[in-house]
Amino acid sequence: MSLNASLSIAVQSLLANNGALQATNNNIANANTPGYTRQVVVMQAAAATSENGLSLGSGVVLQGFDSVRSELLQMQIQQQTQAQSGASASLGTLQQIQPVFTTSTQDIGTQMSALFAKLTSLSTDPASASTRQTVLIAGQNLAAAFNSSSNSLAAIQAGLNSQVIQDVSQINQLTGQIAALNPQIAVLKAGGQDGGALQDQQDQLVLSLSKLTSVTVTHTENGDTLATGNGTPLVLGAQSFTLQSTTGSNGMIHVLDQGGQDITPTLTGGDIGGTVQTRDQMIPGLLNQLDTLASQFGNAINAAQAAGFDQKGAVGQNFFNVPSTVAGAAAALSMALSNSTAIAASSDGTAGSNGNLANLIAVQSSPLPSGKTPTEVYASIVFQVGSLTSHAEAESSATTVSLLQLSNQRNSVSGVSIDEESANLIRYQQAYQAAARVISVINTLFNVTMSMGTNGAA
Amino acid sequence: MRVTNLIPGIQYGIQQSEQSLAVALQQLTTSKRVNQLSDDPSASASMVRSLAASANVDQYTANVSYMIPKMQTADSALSSVVTSLNQAITLGTGGANGTLNNGQRQAVAAQVQGILNSVIAQANISFQGVYVFGGSMSTSPPFVDASIAIHSAQGTAASPLSMSTVLTPGSTTTVYDAVTGGSMIYKAAVGDTLATLAAAVASGVTAGTLSPGTSAAIDSAGKFAIGPNTGATGLAATSNDPVLGAMSAVPGTIVPDVYIYTGNSAVSTVQVGDSMSVNTNLPGDQVFTSGANVIGSLQSLIKTLQAGSQTQIGAAALALTTALNYVGLQRVPLGSSVAQLNSQETYLAQESLSLITQQTALVGVDIAHAATNLSQAEVIHSAVLAAAAKILPQNLLDYLR
Repeated sequence: MSLNASLSIAVQSLLANNGALQATNNNIANANTPGYTRQVVVMQAAAATSENGLSLGSGVVLQGFDSVRSELLQMQIQQQTQAQSGASASLGTLQQIQPVFTTSTQDIGTQMSALFAKLTSLSTDPASASTRQTVLIAGQNLAAAFNSSSNSLAAIQAGLNSQVIQDVSQINQLTGQIAALNPQIAVLKAGGQDGGALQDQQDQLVLSLSKLTSVTVTHTENGDTLATGNGTPLVLGAQSFTLQSTTGSNGMIHVLDQGGQDITPTLTGGDIGGTVQTRDQMIPGLLNQLDTLASQFGNAINAAQAAGFDQKGAVGQNFFNVPSTVAGAAAALSMALSNSTAIAASSDGTAGSNGNLANLIAVQSSPLPSGKTPTEVYASIVFQVGSLTSHAEAESSATTVSLLQLSNQRNSVSGVSIDEESANLIRYQQAYQAAARVISVINTLFNVTMSMGTNGAA
Repeated sequence: MRVTNLIPGIQYGIQQSEQSLAVALQQLTTSKRVNQLSDDPSASASMVRSLAASANVDQYTANVSYMIPKMQTADSALSSVVTSLNQAITLGTGGANGTLNNGQRQAVAAQVQGILNSVIAQANISFQGVYVFGGSMSTSPPFVDASIAIHSAQGTAASPLSMSTVLTPGSTTTVYDAVTGGSMIYKAAVGDTLATLAAAVASGVTAGTLSPGTSAAIDSAGKFAIGPNTGATGLAATSNDPVLGAMSAVPGTIVPDVYIYTGNSAVSTVQVGDSMSVNTNLPGDQVFTSGANVIGSLQSLIKTLQAGSQTQIGAAALALTTALNYVGLQRVPLGSSVAQLNSQETYLAQESLSLITQQTALVGVDIAHAATNLSQAEVIHSAVLAAAAKILPQNLLDYLR
């Protein structure tokens, strides 16, 4: 082998190890870059040459750089991110709802007990103006508690609309960015190269999209094709399909696909899935139970009131103003009585009779048309809110742990280890130094060879 | 497995230990295990039921506290009546003795009149504004003086009522007649006037409820007046119509020693437990005018002392003895109710304590347990931080210098 051939091998070695150093440098630089997958240098021994019947190696060839990624783990992380974001969105809302039903001086349960306590108190002296006034105030407080609880739920529900609008805007922004990357990645892959940083960037964007809604990703020659969980296309090649938000007849923000079809009920997973599920299922469910309780309770009290006589001997008028429809009853429930003399405590029309108070008090322990007593119905709502929140907490916590484990697994494959890169740095540095030393030796040999004639002449 | 970055795991560990620390601290500072519904949904729902039960027990206790002195007031009044009746019996027995002359009998009769007034005062006793012997008509004294004529509080000579004055719909006016023993109850309908009420009085006469000759009109003082009662024992009336105001005797028409019961026979009950109620009153007619007729016996003794024979006086005194025994019988359920209420008060105190214990068990925290939890959480948090501090700075570069 000639000195030139040896020199060529050493130079290739210098280039290959320089490339490896660059890859290591890039890995270290991106050690904390979200979504970055570490790169490894791909070196291959150059084809051997044959000289005088001897086969000799001809150095190393730097073939390129590969990103080490696991598509399976990436997909699992996307799915778990959707679940985690959905649970977190539900949890956030339910944590706002919990205080509405937490025992306080103002909650429905406390005010309901207070009303019955005041009615029981009135039975000791049904003609007492001051005790009658306390019953009236207790009734007003209970109606206010129903109003406040219903309004709080409605306000939380309305607040989620802006979250849906914000999510839709972010989804459109992300799908646009993902679509823009598709052609560039397709070109790289067509050339047999790894997607590299562009692929990392796109994966990270898809992950961000997964935080917002459930997406299915299909890898094609033209790049990733994305669709929502129910199949609504979001990205196809270089084209992205925008979603729209519009206010529906119920006052809620609905999500439409590019064709104008309402896809709101089909949205699952991610922030928008959790938000829509809480807004359209959990809160309406609670509101419906609250409305039913307010309506049935109000009507039961009114019926008991009608069975007696007020302080002037007249048949008891409605105690509460109960809307004719159940929907919205909790928000609209109000006191019908404005004068404490109108409380129908009497069963015989005399001012001192307390006979009908037994009917009013009995509402507390009598089943409403729903089959449960008012206290039981309220306790069941309290249990439901607590249970939903507890479930969302558990799901959020479980998915967080699962996501952490999946991230650790992904990092074990694609993550940058500073220690590993430090070792690689030394390895490639030493190889580079050795190659440089080879060049130096060859240079010396060249000099010796060149000076052979000169020394002889001397 | 390649371990590339420990930071996310360490951060998660620190978050978890901080959360445990926060929970332990909150439980200790609030003394509650359940600070939000999701901490224990089932316990939260049970708390709603338990607090409702507590509110009821508190109110039952308040009712018992109100009822015991009310019952004791009634019992005390009846005790005074018993004392008065004993005095009257003694006087009556003395009056039946032939040694007294007419003047002395008249003096005894005057003493018995004083006793009758005392009994009426006890029969009209009130507790915190509630007349305990009025039945459900407990807002005004149940026993009123009978009078020949009665009139309304409303109306003056300068601004008289008129027969066309409209009554309050739903209001009730009742006229009692001591002669017939009946009462005319009139309930005003929409558009009814004083003329309508006057017509009702006339109908009452026709029906025999009111004495013949009883009529209603606007008197010279501008008030709505009912009378005259042609008999000797008089009228009384009540009204809850603000147009009339309280009905009272026309001055100078009161019939001596005659009283009319304007209450009713209603017995009210008050709930003092989930399944326990007690009677709140003894109707005055049951105690004083029915059965042995306490007031009638006293009236009879007065009359016989004033103008009766010794035999009649003796019989009246004997009737009073029967009345005395009758009042004694009426006191029995009162005493029983007071004993029942005292017993219930003890039970409610235990029930309240039991509910508080239940609530503590549901959402409260054992302080020793909470303190241990906090201490444990502190140790764990310190260990997690120490481990993080030990691990985080380490990397290969430190050893390559």
